[in-house]
Amino acid sequence: MLRLHDYRYHRPDRLSAALDLLEDEGAIPIAGGTDLMPNMKHGLFTPHHVVGLKGIGELRGISYGDGEGNATGEDEARELVIGACETLSAVAASRLVRRHTPSLAEAAGQVAGPQIRNSGTIGGNLCLDTRCTYYNQSHFWRKALGYCLKKDGDVCHVTKVGKKCVAAHSADTPPALLTLGAVVDLVSADGPRTVPLADWFVADGIWNSVRRRNELVRRIRVPLPGSGVRTAYRKVRQRKSIDFPLLSIAIATDLGEDGRVREMKMVVSALGSRPRVVAGLDKIATGHPLSDVTDAVAEPAHRQSRPLENIIVDPEWRRAMVPVYVRRALREMG
Amino acid sequence: MKELLTLRINGQTHEAAVPSHFTLLETLRYVLQLTGSKQGCDKGDCGACTVWLDGRPTLSCITPVHEAVGAEVRTVEGLVGLRTGSGTPHPLQDAFDVCGAAQCGFCTPGILMSAAALLEENTSPSRDEIRDALSGNLCRCTGYTKIYDAVEMAAERLREQGERGVGR
Amino acid sequence: MSTRTPRRTRAVPPRDDPEVGDPAEELEEHISHPDQDGQAPHGRRERVETNVIGQRLRKTDGLAKSTGRARYTDDISLPGMLHGKILRSPHPHARILSIDTSAAEQMAGVHAVVTGAEMPRSYGIIPWTPDEQALATDRVRYVGDAVAAVAADDEDTANRALEAIRVEYEELEPLLDPREAERRTDVQIHDPKKPGYNGNITKVVKLEFGEVDGEMDAADVVVEGDYFFEGSTHTPIEPHCAVGLWEEGGIAGTRLTVWSSTQVPHYLHRELARVLELEAARIRVIQPAVGGGFGGKSEPFDLEFCVAKLAMKSGRPVKILYTREEVFYAHRGRHPFLMKYRLGADREGRIRAVDNRALLDGGAYASFGLVTAYYSGQLLPAPYEIPAYRFHSTRVYTNKPACGPKRGHGSVQPRFAFEVQLDKLAERLDLDPIELRRRNFMGEDRRTINELRVTSNGFLQCLDAVERASGWKEKHRRLPFGRGVGVAGSCYISGTNYPIYPNEMPQSGIQIQVDRSGRVTVFSGASDIGQGSDSMVAYIAAEELGVPLESVRVLTSDTDLTPVDLGAYSSRVTFMLGNACIDACRKMKALVQQAVAEHWDAKPQRVLLAGGQAMDGLDTSRQMPIAGAFNLAEAKYGTLGATGSYNTPKDVHGEYRGGTIGASPAYSFTAHVAEVEVDPETGFVDVKTIWVAHDCGRALNPAIVEGQMEGSAYMGFGEALMEQQIFKDADHGRAGLHDAPSLLDYRIPTSLDTPELASLIIESIDPEGPYGAKEAGEGPLHPSIPAIANAIYDAVGVRMDSMPFSPPRVWKAIQAQKEMEGREGKAVAAD
Repeated sequence: MLRLHDYRYHRPDRLSAALDLLEDEGAIPIAGGTDLMPNMKHGLFTPHHVVGLKGIGELRGISYGDGEGNATGEDEARELVIGACETLSAVAASRLVRRHTPSLAEAAGQVAGPQIRNSGTIGGNLCLDTRCTYYNQSHFWRKALGYCLKKDGDVCHVTKVGKKCVAAHSADTPPALLTLGAVVDLVSADGPRTVPLADWFVADGIWNSVRRRNELVRRIRVPLPGSGVRTAYRKVRQRKSIDFPLLSIAIATDLGEDGRVREMKMVVSALGSRPRVVAGLDKIATGHPLSDVTDAVAEPAHRQSRPLENIIVDPEWRRAMVPVYVRRALREMG
Repeated sequence: MKELLTLRINGQTHEAAVPSHFTLLETLRYVLQLTGSKQGCDKGDCGACTVWLDGRPTLSCITPVHEAVGAEVRTVEGLVGLRTGSGTPHPLQDAFDVCGAAQCGFCTPGILMSAAALLEENTSPSRDEIRDALSGNLCRCTGYTKIYDAVEMAAERLREQGERGVGR
Repeated sequence: MSTRTPRRTRAVPPRDDPEVGDPAEELEEHISHPDQDGQAPHGRRERVETNVIGQRLRKTDGLAKSTGRARYTDDISLPGMLHGKILRSPHPHARILSIDTSAAEQMAGVHAVVTGAEMPRSYGIIPWTPDEQALATDRVRYVGDAVAAVAADDEDTANRALEAIRVEYEELEPLLDPREAERRTDVQIHDPKKPGYNGNITKVVKLEFGEVDGEMDAADVVVEGDYFFEGSTHTPIEPHCAVGLWEEGGIAGTRLTVWSSTQVPHYLHRELARVLELEAARIRVIQPAVGGGFGGKSEPFDLEFCVAKLAMKSGRPVKILYTREEVFYAHRGRHPFLMKYRLGADREGRIRAVDNRALLDGGAYASFGLVTAYYSGQLLPAPYEIPAYRFHSTRVYTNKPACGPKRGHGSVQPRFAFEVQLDKLAERLDLDPIELRRRNFMGEDRRTINELRVTSNGFLQCLDAVERASGWKEKHRRLPFGRGVGVAGSCYISGTNYPIYPNEMPQSGIQIQVDRSGRVTVFSGASDIGQGSDSMVAYIAAEELGVPLESVRVLTSDTDLTPVDLGAYSSRVTFMLGNACIDACRKMKALVQQAVAEHWDAKPQRVLLAGGQAMDGLDTSRQMPIAGAFNLAEAKYGTLGATGSYNTPKDVHGEYRGGTIGASPAYSFTAHVAEVEVDPETGFVDVKTIWVAHDCGRALNPAIVEGQMEGSAYMGFGEALMEQQIFKDADHGRAGLHDAPSLLDYRIPTSLDTPELASLIIESIDPEGPYGAKEAGEGPLHPSIPAIANAIYDAVGVRMDSMPFSPPRVWKAIQAQKEMEGREGKAVAAD
């Protein structure tokens, strides 16, 4: 059996205790562990201290908020507040999430398989490590390879040149959350801070977010979409369960009462180290009926997507699928 | 480094010295000799190690053992007697036998835990609901068909049992 | 919990009916056949009436498996047991210059370290190609090849010890492409057998039957195609595991026990003796419950030799459990095949000639490869009449994990190509593909062109069954674009007439013992790897001896206790072990009948054993419990035991070199219809339903037979659509690294991917099979792949001659076709 290295496990029941533990540079937080545990078994992370977050009540709960994270009733609600340690199963099944942000429920419900969704959390999904065929392998395999840029080595076997890691962002929920304008409440021993999800990801496969190593995602806040907003999430994978996305597409479209597009946000992901927000849609889509612009908006999505051989499925095909799934997602909305 | 942990498994309390870096599966199999739960893939890809953690199907091979402290763990051994009398196999276990749903039997414990969790919530599942519930468990022998038959047979028995008010 | 009670179903005619003659004579006539010849019912084609056989019954190990009680090898824990780990080569091809284990040996908690120098004798599952060593001594031939092993207090210490072993390698150029391996002689993966030979070639087979060139020239239509079958691997959910125990002193002297997740305990027994240089009599091999094999555990592996040697060196029991990654390196799975096929036929679609070439990518070692090279051609000339046939197959070595036998060994690849060829032929002639297959049906009791003796043959009924069940006539070429149906047929062996090592002894043996309580114990050396062979012998014992099924115990797969059976491979177990069990039971039954007959002062034939009773067939009021009958027999004959065996016919094979390979006592037949929905925009193929009709001779337990059919169709479906055992090349990281050694990246189908599988059992009643049974575990895999390929063609008009039919490949094929149509369209416009 693949073994874990020797570490100490901590299971604080208060957030402050967890943050204190994370001040140790050899500590790493774990929520569901569905990504970190396999990665530790592969020797990709070898922390001395592992800090379990699941016992912390402050990281739980799905509720309405007032726009600043304070719980409110439905009438005053301006946002959904989702505790970082809510499981993907809970998010997918949440009445609030399904009602207001169905694409998020859809994305959470398409992560891996049922057991992983029962353990894995939405905070963890946000922090999911990037993936690459040269990285998510055992220590034996990586050593035989000569390691790679992301871990223990200095070469990228995907691009073969350059010093930039191109491992693929592979989480399902962030693309949906991005189109919904979510913000992330972080906390560390230094205090809290809030980062719009739009500023969360960076184009670096080694560490693809602005989260500092001693910081925890406390909760995710999603502004309540207006009544004209339609959302969709499409995941392409070879098997209908268990697999990470080969390509994913999230769209949120605000339609006016006249059925014309007021605003459209689209994210294409699982291609590079961060989800790509498709640029230039306003010019093409705004003011037009949705059905008129289906092909037009698929074009920039296609143009702006450049998959690499970081996943072992033909990049040419993955790229060609972008407009196909964009059109399908849009048709489903219309 | 070992730590003394208290675990609730199948309704019993176990105290055991467990290496801190052990998974729940390693603890079950190699510390407590509860070898019913199986290890197939090492890392959360196949579902053979599925147990219940507070009633939810969970992959014990990627669950740190500490996460089971304070929770109710149920394994395939603990399905015996659940919804039946003590010592009597769960209707699902019996149905797997009747239908030939276990060939090599190695994925079976995990599949049973996923299927039994479904039946706790829904004793009239459709075939698609069964497929969904088992979509994190790989079986290499059966093509799943006989497994669906067994789950449906067990569901029927549980419904009958429910009507008679037995076992609840 | 009760099993179904066997019922007496045999009707006894009323005594006073003048139309039926003398009832006593009739009854005796009726029951004498199976009882008096003391042998399997060879030569009989009619269905024998049975009480237990043919029923849907529980399996002997069913509840143990569904309650977690069944013990697999990794569930074994012995006092003082150490944990072993194996050091593997990081190079695809290298010379070993030195191995320094001194640092590892000195580590605290390390009890033994072993290298190949201590087990240098080479071995191979096929005695003519012994090209492997337990641990490599001078050369490594793939990434993952075993070099050294350690035993330590726990796995973590063992892993640390591996890191302390220093191996100096001289890297050699790796060969990954089989075409290159065939061509190149400057790099040789193995030493040539003789000077001037190419050490990259395991085996070349060239066989020709009939006038191929003449028939091909005379054919009205010739279909030609290039096909590629991608490699795939078994992925049983249980990783390989072994435990070794070495005991010294006492009357037994020294003794080695190895528990292993093997599917061939007997061959493992032999190879352990050879490699460890121990007397076989001092070695005991025990096979606990096995969590799936599919051919992936049908030869010895490094871990079995290592647990033995490490136990011998340390004096403590040692366990090794493979990681999932190591299972991918152990492999022995489906060979990738490059095929060039030609098929000539007349205008009516009758086959005139078949001319096939194949290049088999064998990986680093021979494994069963010599046989694979033959099977790649030998098993093709049925169920169709092929008047002229040639095949030319070459198996080469490459620097990748060794390929071997995966379910449908060696014949799944050619079947894929050939059944697609037939579909193309039907298309060319505008014939219905099922009708085309009917026209070419070879019939029963025929010899194929390569002299396979085919007896029972239910292939036509298989075709009829899938045609009817699938609604073929309303669907084929009639469904809307994107949906389609495809058909394919196949044939497979029920074991091989010749064992792996030449000998005249039986292939299967059974020993039975009856207890004064009425219990029957069956000692079976066969390997139940989930297919149900333990249950099968229990059913036979219950049938023959009339005891309730719950009174039968089956003790299995322990070389100290059970007679030799050659193992769970080539679909031999039901056929051979079943016949051996019938043989043993009938010998025992004769004793019991004789003793009871004397007691009742009647003829022995009148004594029936059924339903837990011995009874007088002519006066059923005269009965006694079976235990009483056993006691009478024991009083008369002393302690009761009987042995039975089965050996294959040795005079039925082709009189040419290789003519014994493919010879089987019986052949099974299968037909599939697959219905698919292809998404032309994305290339996703959704297989909706596979109808599987399989001629298994007779279903001893229909539920188990269906399970085999469904599992086979599932496995073929997975290969067809998604599975790939492939490797990186020098442009992608490093040559020879496994592309996806995990159950995440090597994708086997989930419940949501798997089609509806509809099993249709066809019973042709084989004259030599037990109660007429033939195999059901491998044959039903074969047609899955070509049936899906042909269905894709029916759906979207593209030919998938290359596997797998993954979305990118199907999409590209559709794109290519569009481009071609576009060009043609333009050309037409330009005219």
